[in-house]
Amino acid sequence: MITGLGAICASGKQPEQILDSLLDGTISIAEIGGWDGENWPCRLGGVVGFSPRELINDRKLLKLIKKTDVVGIYAAEQALNSAGISTYRESLASADDDSFAERFGLYVGTSGGYYDTQYDFLPLISEANGSMQTIGERLGESVNPMWLLGNLPNNVVCHVGIRNKLKGANACITNHGTSGSLSIIEAFESLRIGDTDRAIAIGHDAPVEPQTVLYYQKAGLLADAQLTPFDTDRSGCILGEGGAALVLETLEAAESRSAPIHAEILGKGCTSEAEGLLPVRVDGDGVARAICLALEQAGLETQQIGMIVCHGNGTRTSDLSEGVAIRRVFGTQIPPITCFKWAFGHLLAAAGSIDTVLALTALQRGIVPAIAPLSNIDPSLQELPIAKVAREPISNTALILSRGFGGQNSALIIRASSR
Amino acid sequence: MVTQPRRVAITGMGLVTPVGNNLGETWQSLLEARSGVAPISLFDASGFSVRIAAEVKGDTYLSNTGHKRLSKAATRSHLFALASAEEAIQDAGIRPDAANGHRWGCSVGTGMVSVDFPELEALQREAAPAGELDTDLMLSSSIASDPIAFCRSQSAQGLSLLVERYAIKGYTTSVHTACASGGQAVGTGLKLIRRGDCDYVLAGGFDSMISPLGLAGFCLLNAVSTDNHNPHTASRPFDASRNGFVLGEGAGFLVLEEWEAAVKRGARIYAELAGEGNSLSSYRITDSHPSGDGPIQAMQQALQSAGIFPEQVDYLNAHGTSTPMNDRSEAAAAHVVFGSHIKDLSVSSTKSTMGHLIAAAGAVEAAICALTIHHGKVPINANLTQRDPDCNLNFICDKAKDQAVRVAMSNSLGFGGSNSCLVFREPGAS
Repeated sequence: MITGLGAICASGKQPEQILDSLLDGTISIAEIGGWDGENWPCRLGGVVGFSPRELINDRKLLKLIKKTDVVGIYAAEQALNSAGISTYRESLASADDDSFAERFGLYVGTSGGYYDTQYDFLPLISEANGSMQTIGERLGESVNPMWLLGNLPNNVVCHVGIRNKLKGANACITNHGTSGSLSIIEAFESLRIGDTDRAIAIGHDAPVEPQTVLYYQKAGLLADAQLTPFDTDRSGCILGEGGAALVLETLEAAESRSAPIHAEILGKGCTSEAEGLLPVRVDGDGVARAICLALEQAGLETQQIGMIVCHGNGTRTSDLSEGVAIRRVFGTQIPPITCFKWAFGHLLAAAGSIDTVLALTALQRGIVPAIAPLSNIDPSLQELPIAKVAREPISNTALILSRGFGGQNSALIIRASSR
Repeated sequence: MVTQPRRVAITGMGLVTPVGNNLGETWQSLLEARSGVAPISLFDASGFSVRIAAEVKGDTYLSNTGHKRLSKAATRSHLFALASAEEAIQDAGIRPDAANGHRWGCSVGTGMVSVDFPELEALQREAAPAGELDTDLMLSSSIASDPIAFCRSQSAQGLSLLVERYAIKGYTTSVHTACASGGQAVGTGLKLIRRGDCDYVLAGGFDSMISPLGLAGFCLLNAVSTDNHNPHTASRPFDASRNGFVLGEGAGFLVLEEWEAAVKRGARIYAELAGEGNSLSSYRITDSHPSGDGPIQAMQQALQSAGIFPEQVDYLNAHGTSTPMNDRSEAAAAHVVFGSHIKDLSVSSTKSTMGHLIAAAGAVEAAICALTIHHGKVPINANLTQRDPDCNLNFICDKAKDQAVRVAMSNSLGFGGSNSCLVFREPGAS
């Protein structure tokens, strides 16, 4: 059961606010301000504009963590608050609270780190002028002693745990675009097998830094202008920053504290296409298999799916193969299809997290948001019900697709509670 | 109806470690307690406060890394992964095929993203001549334009190389919980088979932080031993005089197989991967509580998950990094978990000979636990001469012990507070 939600990205800092922005058709992708991009071939990104101090009021901690961690911790604590976790814990006796903490899991999807973390060494390398000995000798004068700890990929697991006293089973998944979905999936499975009673699944990422943007551009992955998924003229993806989190509880745990139940996770599927880091199979093999596995675990027929939230990253082959896969699995009866990255960019390791949070928020409002920048659907995807305008979902169930480097795919099915 | 959880057999293993380029060599070195620690040769470490590490020696493992096309986009640690995975797959005598590739999964513990130091130096020359990055200069930098450098440095690249090589089409994942990564990856493999997502999992970890940046990170934290003149005894877990860990590198992979399938094909089963436990210390980034809180829960959960009582455990492969705080917390945890059985429990940290393999450590030590069961021998905790009274465990010292190991346990405790514990059982037991 999903009992708490949190999200932050370029479009806003709460799930409802982000969804409102999407429904208004607002594109929150803008010129990246972090460096002088005048001569750059790619200048767009979905940057979170809030200062770290606005998000986390802990100056000491902020010195130790990066932006990706800030948005992750912020989204996590928003989700914990919305689930009423701390209020509930105040009512517990100390021994009960210990066992609450030990049965509360943390599953985080994140990047393994980016290039800018290493730039702290550039002044030293420059000064050393080719002498490795000098680098060793002057290390302590030049680089912050906490450099390694500041750059640990598992910082959000650590700090969300310490700040909120959560001590259960945990994982930090560094699996590119499927990291966020896998964090939800592993949290879901930990509840099913009884490793935890409650868990938080967090995805966070901040890939908008020069070297990453340039590499993506050189690899042909970035859009010339807008991110226009499924459009004839689509030209690629745009990176974005953000985080999203979900609090999961077993039905028993949620009911025991009369928690608000937003939705239920019904099934998942994870597959790999195994053809290398960047290639995507045009026949949609991995996506189709992931969807089938998720339907099977959920015990659902295709007609019972109310809406599909695609990965929709705007690259030519990814969008096309997703469409092909959906057609293969759903035949002619396909529910409305939408996606969200066009509004705030591809959050990479947080993509599956924010897509799930927004899918759920949209289901609760009974709406399939339109893909605002879509003008001409790719002719080869013409027969798919891709939402050019907002529509109603067929049922209260959503299928969410995520994809990542290495030919990895995940599918997740959730059902919103009626309200 | 209560259904029995599916059991998991370890049917193949491969290692590349500072004490051997393969499984057999590594095991032999461990039994003879041959230290893998030596002066750093991979780069000029003369200016660093720490100048020793446990490097992988020689390059005979390279014959197992596969086609050039793959290894071209591989880092040093990816090459360790490719070699040890191949050894594990060959050792298991089974590999994914067109019919069952989708029932295979892959779960890897990987290190932090980093680029090779010469690449960072090139970037500095080309794009940060004065030390500050000039983004306009970066546009024409050779490194920032190199698609191979891009692929090599992606966190999913190690996993991607493996799944492509073996056409693994099921559940694939990379995890990073610092020093607990390898243990978590193997534990994830167990869960994937138990819950029916996979029938086979290639699970392991790989890492190499013996680079100027990796060493610098640990030197700055004063976490590594400065015994530059006595490399062989620098790593001395649980010794009163210990002063930090020794950085190692390498990889370990296991082929995990659903028990019935393994039995049916007559596979040699080293051991059963019987349980895993996982907890968060939530105390400090670098330490768990001196009381053992954190590791205690991971160990207890692993036993519970395996359906094993503490007194059934014969051998504990301790995380035992050789840092004062870690060793004390872990020893305290073992006392709580094992109670009076502690005096009968053989304990050693194999980091005493091969150093700390960081993200690979848990996977390599999982393989070592399976070998203790398979061979009935327990490797020593080297360099333990003055016992820390706060670490009063039944350490195996001096020479490897002949002992029938029915159940073995492996701990991996990471920076960030993640604790992973694995439990292994002799294959004949039920």
